[in-house]
Amino acid sequence: MSDVEAPVLRDLQSAATSHRGDRIFNRTIAAAAFTALIVLGGITIFLGAQAIPVLQQQGLAFLTTSEWNPPDYGIWGMLYGSVLLAIIALVIAVPASLLLSVFMVFLAPKPLATVLTNLVDLMAAIPSVIIGLWAFYVLAPVSEGWQQLMNQYLGWIPIFQNDSGNFSGTPFTAGFVLAIMMIPIVTSVTREVLGRTPPELINASEALGCSLWSMLRYVALPYGRGGLVGGVMLGLGRALGETIAVFFVLKIVFDPVNYYKIIESGGGSVATLIVSKFGEASGPYETQLLLAAGFFLFMMTLVVNVIANLIVNRTGRLQS
Amino acid sequence: MSTAEYDEVAVQELESDFAIEAPVGQAEMETRDVSVWFGKRKVLEGVNIAFPRNTVTALIGPSGCGKSTFIRTLNRLHELIPSAALAGEVLYKGQDIYAPEIDPVHIRLNIGMVFQKPNPFPSMTIRGNVLSGLKLSGMKRSNHDDIVEETLTHAGLWNEVKDRLNHAAGDLSGGQQQRLVIARALAVQPDVLLMDEPCSALDPGSTLKIEETIRELSNDITIIIVTHNMQQAVRVADNTAFFLATDGNPGHVVEQGPTTDIFGNPQDQRTLDYVNGRFG
Amino acid sequence: MSSTIVFDAETIPALTEQKPQTPWGRRTGKFRLVVVLAIVIPALIVGSLFMFSTLPGAVIMVAVYFPLQIIATVLAAISVRGTKSAGDAVIIVSAIGATIFSGIVLISLLWSIITKGIQAMSTAFIFQNNEYISPSTPLGYGGIGHAVLGTVLIVGISALIAVPLGVMTALYITEVRGRAVPYVRFFVQAMSGVPSVVAGLFILTVLILTGVLNNSAFAAGLAYSILMLPTVARTAEEVLKLVPEELRTGALALGSTRARVALRVVVPAAKTGIITAAILGVARVVGETAPLLLTALKNDKTVLNPFSEPISALPTYIFTNVAQPYPDAVLRAWGAALALMVIVAVLFTVTRVLSAKRPGK
Repeated sequence: MSDVEAPVLRDLQSAATSHRGDRIFNRTIAAAAFTALIVLGGITIFLGAQAIPVLQQQGLAFLTTSEWNPPDYGIWGMLYGSVLLAIIALVIAVPASLLLSVFMVFLAPKPLATVLTNLVDLMAAIPSVIIGLWAFYVLAPVSEGWQQLMNQYLGWIPIFQNDSGNFSGTPFTAGFVLAIMMIPIVTSVTREVLGRTPPELINASEALGCSLWSMLRYVALPYGRGGLVGGVMLGLGRALGETIAVFFVLKIVFDPVNYYKIIESGGGSVATLIVSKFGEASGPYETQLLLAAGFFLFMMTLVVNVIANLIVNRTGRLQS
Repeated sequence: MSTAEYDEVAVQELESDFAIEAPVGQAEMETRDVSVWFGKRKVLEGVNIAFPRNTVTALIGPSGCGKSTFIRTLNRLHELIPSAALAGEVLYKGQDIYAPEIDPVHIRLNIGMVFQKPNPFPSMTIRGNVLSGLKLSGMKRSNHDDIVEETLTHAGLWNEVKDRLNHAAGDLSGGQQQRLVIARALAVQPDVLLMDEPCSALDPGSTLKIEETIRELSNDITIIIVTHNMQQAVRVADNTAFFLATDGNPGHVVEQGPTTDIFGNPQDQRTLDYVNGRFG
Repeated sequence: MSSTIVFDAETIPALTEQKPQTPWGRRTGKFRLVVVLAIVIPALIVGSLFMFSTLPGAVIMVAVYFPLQIIATVLAAISVRGTKSAGDAVIIVSAIGATIFSGIVLISLLWSIITKGIQAMSTAFIFQNNEYISPSTPLGYGGIGHAVLGTVLIVGISALIAVPLGVMTALYITEVRGRAVPYVRFFVQAMSGVPSVVAGLFILTVLILTGVLNNSAFAAGLAYSILMLPTVARTAEEVLKLVPEELRTGALALGSTRARVALRVVVPAAKTGIITAAILGVARVVGETAPLLLTALKNDKTVLNPFSEPISALPTYIFTNVAQPYPDAVLRAWGAALALMVIVAVLFTVTRVLSAKRPGK
């Protein structure tokens, strides 16, 4: 069969799956593997299907206005609020996590570092409803006191203004709670990234007589840049989607939208909106509105997550 | 740009800790009865070597006898290992570098080190790498271009990279990277350069280039080099010290002296056996 | 040197008297004085503030002590080692501060859970349900029994679905040579970012509102499995990757099919890791509340049928008892939180122990 003059390439690939058992196996696990795709697609399609009639009914005003008085509904305040809370959380959590991981990787003696690693991971495992419970009864009262002082001494700065005298249910408290939930996640990733700085680079900088600060600035942080950004974004995704802990400490207000007064009572969060209105949804249309809101929340977190993973994957490959 | 201006800035930096010249008759570096432990395990004992100024000293001996550990006591990298302990004195320009008032960071600016595996910073350019020592230690110098050219020339790399200073350091070959690392070490103007088997990861061509560099550099700085390669010691070193550790016992210097004597006319039978390749 | 020197131990009398030392640990008197000052002075200032001012403790610590300590440490560092060490001083103090801050938060959390939760604890609390209890009923009656059962049912259902699917997904990624593999990884990663409330909404929309399922444990289990699957898949993938390639090649050389290699060789070799992946998946979902609120709703009775009616789980129990005006109801919430926390802690410890035992780790 084979030609004497020119070599004929043999087919190697189809032999690999010619065995019937292998074929069944491959198909089964392939089917399982595509569950992820099916679920993601399903969420997009089915929630999107709820969003379409809502947008038709409300128009773009659903996304650009902020109110919840039938028949007018708009979630702009909630979308903005989710972002504002995430920013507050980031401002608190990112420096704290970075410093905590620097301590764990470069400063702490080994036994202490191991204990801290386990404690941080334990903290990441604490369910959000428990953190919400603690936030409501322990953190919130204390936080009100802090905010009063912030208003007293720093009230001339616009973000620390408070016109109502009410310091409960503020974006600051909610953002602080989110930060507490973000810190373990971001610290875990950051710690791993910093720990992976090649020892020969650290040796090189030690031999050159560097200080801790310059080693971090010129060696460890640039090397781990991708992983660090990815870790922060993963924490951000979590913060945007967090529902229950925020539910207990934030007062949902549609109008007026609280744009910058973080210690003023009242704010927004799409996730919390869904959970808080769900029980009292006065009919299938209101439910549909909440589903539409869920669709937009899903889109927001999906984008953040995808970007985060792209950054982590891309720089991961470069570093090797 | 002149070396005089370098020296002036260097003087201001170093004056607080060290005199510029060692007292007359004093070796640039010297160890006195240095013994080294890791936890309870003694790995080196009674090392007494003097390293005269502007010479090359080779430390030879079979693997595992403590040469790399020893060399790390000379720039105070040894103490970064958690269970490290030390006895004896290490003198630099006549002063004990382990005295309580001495800043180890300062020591490492004066006593540089090149490691076995070339370790340029991959995220920096060639130029950036050369200057990184200045950045990392916070040293201020204004004439960066001159420093880059001068150190790369001393390291024997200038002609090969002068047109691509802004390329990534990771693109260079192993031998080029090692010479870049040498240039980086030179940029902070050390008086002593420690080299821990700098050529063992390189091909013979790069090795010869680096040995050339070493011989040239020794006109201005004191070099201490750990090497497995006896021919290298012969080619490069003015003096040689032979380390040995027999099972279970801490390493020590069996014999030391001018290279020609150690290889041509060793006094100790073990030295004779080692340099003739009977073990190691 | 004029000629070779041969080592002679006798010429070094000090050798026998040498003791291992750490000269780098010795400090000059000036250094010690400066360190003491840098610690004592800020502490004194802050201590007097605590005693004589009305500012809350946390504010004093953050707004006064922290900056003061930084300044003091920076000054100390500059005086001993020169200006270039100022950056280090700031970082070290800040890093320690961040660690202490996180430690305080964690301690506060655990302390509240334990001290308040214990008050609600009793055998009745653990085993009874809430059927005849209203929020104002005092402690001693009613408990979390039904909620514990609910958690077990719902988590069990989701594990039955998500663990096999997750492991199979991981097998696909590691064992099958397909062009789709990077896409699958991408989708699994994207899926891990789905917020728990969205997972609940999805099941609600597709299965409950359409009438296919009731509000039930099963529906909640499905929602949980959306959250569990990515965790299980990613951990299992890492673990399967650790199995050395030689095992696979050896089995193939013996004439095994790829399926058998995967099932009979690779999976058993990664057994502990896969169990860890499953436990991590469980730990991921056991405390999630939002999906439950949307799919399983709430029920004070003990429910055994996972398909028929709403059911409470521990997170739901906590949620419904928070913000009640009755202190006993609040204590019940803390008690349930303690129970949930114990479950999480046990799962966490088991994972750590299993990971430590893994060979080649």
